[in-house]
Amino acid sequence: MLALIAQRLAASVAAAALSALAVFLLVRAVPGDIVGQMLGQTGGDPTAELALRAFFGLDQPIHRQFLDWLGRTLTGDLGTSWYQGRAVTTMIWDAFRVTLELSALTLLISTLIGVPLGVWAGIRAGGPVDTAIQGFSMFGLSAPVFWIGLMLLVGAAAVFDWSPPFAYVGPEEDLPENLSIMILPVASLCLLQAAAYAQFVRGLMVNELRRDYIRTAQSKGLRPYAVYVVHALRNVLIPLSTFIGLILVQILGGVVVIESLFSLPGLGRLILSAIQGRDYPVVQGALLFVVLIAITINLVIDLLYGVFDPRLRT
Amino acid sequence: MILPGLGRLTPGLAFGLVILATLALMVAVPGWIAWQSPIAIDPSRALQAPSAAHWFGTDDVGRDVFARVVYGARVTLGLVAGSLLIAALIGGGLGLIAGSTGGIADLTLGRLADMVQTFPPIIAGVVLTGILGPGAGNLILALAVVYIPTFFRIARSGAVAEAARPYVEAGRAAGSSEPAILLRHILPNVLPLVVLQYVILFPLALQIEAALGFLGLGVAPPTPDWGAILEQGKNFILVAWWLSLWPGLFLLLSAISVTILGRVLKARWDDA
Repeated sequence: MLALIAQRLAASVAAAALSALAVFLLVRAVPGDIVGQMLGQTGGDPTAELALRAFFGLDQPIHRQFLDWLGRTLTGDLGTSWYQGRAVTTMIWDAFRVTLELSALTLLISTLIGVPLGVWAGIRAGGPVDTAIQGFSMFGLSAPVFWIGLMLLVGAAAVFDWSPPFAYVGPEEDLPENLSIMILPVASLCLLQAAAYAQFVRGLMVNELRRDYIRTAQSKGLRPYAVYVVHALRNVLIPLSTFIGLILVQILGGVVVIESLFSLPGLGRLILSAIQGRDYPVVQGALLFVVLIAITINLVIDLLYGVFDPRLRT
Repeated sequence: MILPGLGRLTPGLAFGLVILATLALMVAVPGWIAWQSPIAIDPSRALQAPSAAHWFGTDDVGRDVFARVVYGARVTLGLVAGSLLIAALIGGGLGLIAGSTGGIADLTLGRLADMVQTFPPIIAGVVLTGILGPGAGNLILALAVVYIPTFFRIARSGAVAEAARPYVEAGRAAGSSEPAILLRHILPNVLPLVVLQYVILFPLALQIEAALGFLGLGVAPPTPDWGAILEQGKNFILVAWWLSLWPGLFLLLSAISVTILGRVLKARWDDA
């Protein structure tokens, strides 16, 4: 088990370091940096250009720039935003709180909707309920998340004559206002994730209900509840717990578009605006953060497999 | 009714095939379906609701949304199909070689694939198109890079499994060259895996292509792309819902029809 953890950890760290390097090189490989943008406004002055390049550290050879950045990153200092002058770690933390709330609410609600739907469809496999739930899954998995968001905006305006507030308010400032901002983004993301859950859980249930021990339990005369929930569902929970990790990574990706649509100041918007502004320290820092989260989730999934299935521990 | 290669025609499959045929028609001959120009501007008829003259309404500069959606099929579906084809050729080819030869090349390519896959796909797409800038070429490049590792892994694991079979050993003993074994024995067995993966990935890549278009990172205006029309519609969402409804509906129908096709193919090939 320890060897497995060590091996996974090493591979993850290598992947994180490689992707940090790739992002670092990529932002610098394209023409047009902050100095060019600043001088574009004031007219090209060679001395000013040299001074600015030195100020941002862009006069150094690229391997020095990377090693400097890596060294500071390892001590927890991601540098300062070139546009806002704020510490990148603070900016990431502020944005992450928004994304975290969005993701946590989505995970909670989509689990509560999607898992029971999947169990229900699995029990009634082949029947009309199953067909309806599979149709819902197909719709949720195929509809673009941001399009659902747009349609919900139209629907809320038409039916309730209501639109979400424009300016973001944190949950600690005004919780009802905050939730009224979150409701449509969370609903858009939930449709996709609940559909994914329903499909996955249905497959697991159908497989589980075919097993011999289920037939034994049924022929013993156990009540359906005992068969489905106590026996089948318990075995479904193991693969399900690892599927949650996959869902979390999906949500992390989905928030980029949803945050942009609903003007939420989260990680996705931070990354998008930093890339467009060529704010290298923010791009590098925020992407490293996202990659580390994704890697951590995947690592935890791998470990959960080991915990639940002793055969994988060797 | 039994269809060649697809088996029994179920209602679901029929539904999928009808949509696919319609989409194919839109891609091949958009001019037969939409008579109006997808790019001609007429401010005097801006933001008109759907009517007999403009089935899907008009946008903020008076372009016919129906024509834009119909012509957009070629742009959107073409971009996705093309980038996935590039990803399948490069990723599949590298996976085939890595899986059957192994060694340092296999190890290096595996680490590179790990690196790309540490990013959630949409974030990788945003990073690549955001840094490289908008435009069809960069969009294709970004989507291809995002999906090369998936094809690489599928082809690699298929090749590893095939290379261990006795007939490969027998071929080698009989004096076949390595390239001959690769092409004659391993490739035909790995190809169905890659084709199936292509169909499975298509709806996912479509979502990402649309999302990038929606974020303004896709093709340049005024090219009619479904994601780009949605981006334009976002600003008028409460006054002109028709700008957003139709392109999204066609994205949805495209994804559903390809997903149905993928499931049917998977079920048949898993049985075989």
